[in-house]
Amino acid sequence: MLLSSVIIVLREVLEAALLISILIALSKKTSLSAHWLIWSCLLGLSGAIVYGMNINNVSDWFDGVGQEVTNAFIQLLIYCMLVLYILILSRFLVHKNTFHFLTRLIMIIIVALAITREGTEIVLYFFSVTHSKTHLTAVVGMTIGASIGVSVGFLFYYLLNSLKLEQSIFIGLILLLLVSAGMVSQASLLLIQADWLPAQLPLWNSSAFISEKSVTGQLLYVLLGYESTPTALQVSLYVLAIIVPIGLMQVLNKVYPKKINLASL
Amino acid sequence: MKSIRFFLSIVILSTITIMAFLAALNGYNDSMASAEELFDTELVDKANLLAISYSVRPPETRISDIAKFDQIKESQQSEQYFAFQIWKNEKILLTSINAPQDAIAHFESGFHYKNFLNHRWRTYSQYNKKTNIWILTAERIDIRYVLAENIVLETIIPVVIMLPFLGLLIWTIITYGLSPLRNLAQELGDKRADDLTALSIENQPVELIQVVNSTNDLFERLKASFLREKRFSSDAAHELRTPISAIKIHLHNLSHLISEDEQSFIQLRSSVDRMGHLIEQILNLNRTSTEQYMSRFSTIDLYSLAQEVIASEYKHFAQKNLQISLEGDSNTINGDKFSLELLVQNLISNACKYTPESGEVLIKVYCNVGDIIFQIEDSGSGIPVDKYERLFDRFYRLDGDCHTSNTIGCGLGLAIVKQIVELHHAEIFLGQSSFKTGLMVRVVFSKEDLS
Amino acid sequence: MNYFINHVCHFFRFQIIIFITVFVLLIPVQVYAGTPIIHIEIRNHLFIPSEIIIPKETKVKLIIHNKDETDEEFESYELNREKVIVGQRKGVIFIGPLPSGVYPFFGEFFPKTAQGKVIVK
Repeated sequence: MLLSSVIIVLREVLEAALLISILIALSKKTSLSAHWLIWSCLLGLSGAIVYGMNINNVSDWFDGVGQEVTNAFIQLLIYCMLVLYILILSRFLVHKNTFHFLTRLIMIIIVALAITREGTEIVLYFFSVTHSKTHLTAVVGMTIGASIGVSVGFLFYYLLNSLKLEQSIFIGLILLLLVSAGMVSQASLLLIQADWLPAQLPLWNSSAFISEKSVTGQLLYVLLGYESTPTALQVSLYVLAIIVPIGLMQVLNKVYPKKINLASL
Repeated sequence: MKSIRFFLSIVILSTITIMAFLAALNGYNDSMASAEELFDTELVDKANLLAISYSVRPPETRISDIAKFDQIKESQQSEQYFAFQIWKNEKILLTSINAPQDAIAHFESGFHYKNFLNHRWRTYSQYNKKTNIWILTAERIDIRYVLAENIVLETIIPVVIMLPFLGLLIWTIITYGLSPLRNLAQELGDKRADDLTALSIENQPVELIQVVNSTNDLFERLKASFLREKRFSSDAAHELRTPISAIKIHLHNLSHLISEDEQSFIQLRSSVDRMGHLIEQILNLNRTSTEQYMSRFSTIDLYSLAQEVIASEYKHFAQKNLQISLEGDSNTINGDKFSLELLVQNLISNACKYTPESGEVLIKVYCNVGDIIFQIEDSGSGIPVDKYERLFDRFYRLDGDCHTSNTIGCGLGLAIVKQIVELHHAEIFLGQSSFKTGLMVRVVFSKEDLS
Repeated sequence: MNYFINHVCHFFRFQIIIFITVFVLLIPVQVYAGTPIIHIEIRNHLFIPSEIIIPKETKVKLIIHNKDETDEEFESYELNREKVIVGQRKGVIFIGPLPSGVYPFFGEFFPKTAQGKVIVK
């Protein structure tokens, strides 16, 4: 009970914490204040509670696959926002100024959506567990999981923050690219599960090397959206999700050329 | 804002949290595994016990008798928690009262899991070749899990409870550890602008000794250079005053000897006047500089101050046939009498200088939402907005040396005004006057600094 | 404008090749007629039945009825599935096609008792 509650909360918190720490580190580096975080956290938490309260209605949508479709929609929305953010950031590398209002708005949306998505499961778990007898264990487990997740987020933030400006933005860009591709991969999986996308036999099975159950597997899942048995469709969408922002960056660099070429970094 | 205290506290607490919790979880895992083993051993023991007790009993004993045995033997709690069956040739021989009629475990030696009676059970199957008997024992997983977890949890909860206190402790320790740095910053922050005495090196930690030494060194050099500069400019001004006075006397004597209309003579006199004015202003600049400023503030009525200055300057206004008016009422501020007088005088004489004949000058002293405002407007030609900033530079004069108005001035007036304004933590604004043309100068003494 | 399009095409040679590869990969999507439906019940944090057998390389629709008051999350790393089944409600999950093997699943909220497996034959 303890371990499972730790894992449930840790996995969700870690996903959100990593994304948030990357975004805060980057907004510090691009000299934006981090006040937006409070708003997005509040929005995200209320979003998670509202979604958690209405999960039974949402589940009934689209012949019982409403949950998958909603989650996939949220993931894809986060992806789109991340692509926008990546493009703005890549422009920052070129001419050192950000569109403050737009950037802040995008970050608020990303974090609020991410917290809604990840928080819902925690809210549901919390409500489910407090019904049962063993809720003390679960609460202890949730505390442990959340603390570890938040701590990792903090350390990650300070790690990114300690890098030099261009270095940290470049690494942040790559991480965001991977995280965003992971979002697309998760969304495609959810849509396959809902039978909205065609199901296929898995392309490969790497669970012998890195099991999704293992700590490495979980970390890779959080960072890259790792799946041990992906289908061809998932892999293609993953690759596509990485190529699209890079392509857009190159178009931007072509249309508005400046001294630093991002692709050559 | 980067804070060493935040950085250290958060990073240390995060690291400790991760380490402590991972260790706790690891311990939990191991303990649970040991507990599992213990329970499994118990399951085997029970199976062995059953096998022995069954072999002692005659094999023809009927189930009803055994049921009685069950009721006696099994307590209420373990009745729910433990179940067993004895099978022979796919026929049930003996069963605990809570077990179903189907087999409660697989007929396959060893441990398994099985769901029955709405619960999940850990089962153990033992086959006795000699008697061809299967002994099946089962324990409810949820109960045995809760039993084990309750014990293990006792060791984990303290770690969780301890953490906030640990955080508080880390915060306190770091705050204490950084106090020399904070004290040093405080000491430097509290220093008056003219206080360049060395910082004490005693009680400083090793890490800060270099900082203190370097700062003291810097203070030393700064003090020396301030002293040099101060001495130089005041000495120079003082030394120049005497010859200028001498020149003026000689000039006066000379005026009796030659015609006063002589062009060179007029030029000479105006140049000497200008030089005298410049020296006076340089001395004023020195007297009002922040480093020099020592005198105590007193309560001063801006309105009556303005009246006094207007009275003393009135002859210049009358010469140019200027109309000067003072509006407003008595408003007191906290300030230095000498420098404020200088400020008002500089502004009024500027207005007088740059307003053409028969112009107007309007002075207002009033209170706006607690701020005391001194405002002066003239009907002169005014100043282009883009020149406003440069106006306060030392020795800056509009249009350079080719000043349109033939007035004495050295370009120090507004620089002095600015210095006095800063001295009083006031603000100065330039703008269009309410006349058709002309400049408006507004000095705002803010509320907070008056108290 | 034309120049611009040419330019973009030239520029995206590499990307276009990948796009084509992606779509070639997408072609071998088999179409299945009539998806088999399997019902699973969650009762007292147990999956009933806890073992289901499905044909290999076939897509199957699992309908999970949660008879408990509490929510449960159907989760399987092997099947790559994760879905919250609200208490007193049912949820639909499509699984497969899968190669033959054993695919354990569990209820993430009550994993000690809610255990089960899909056997693909």
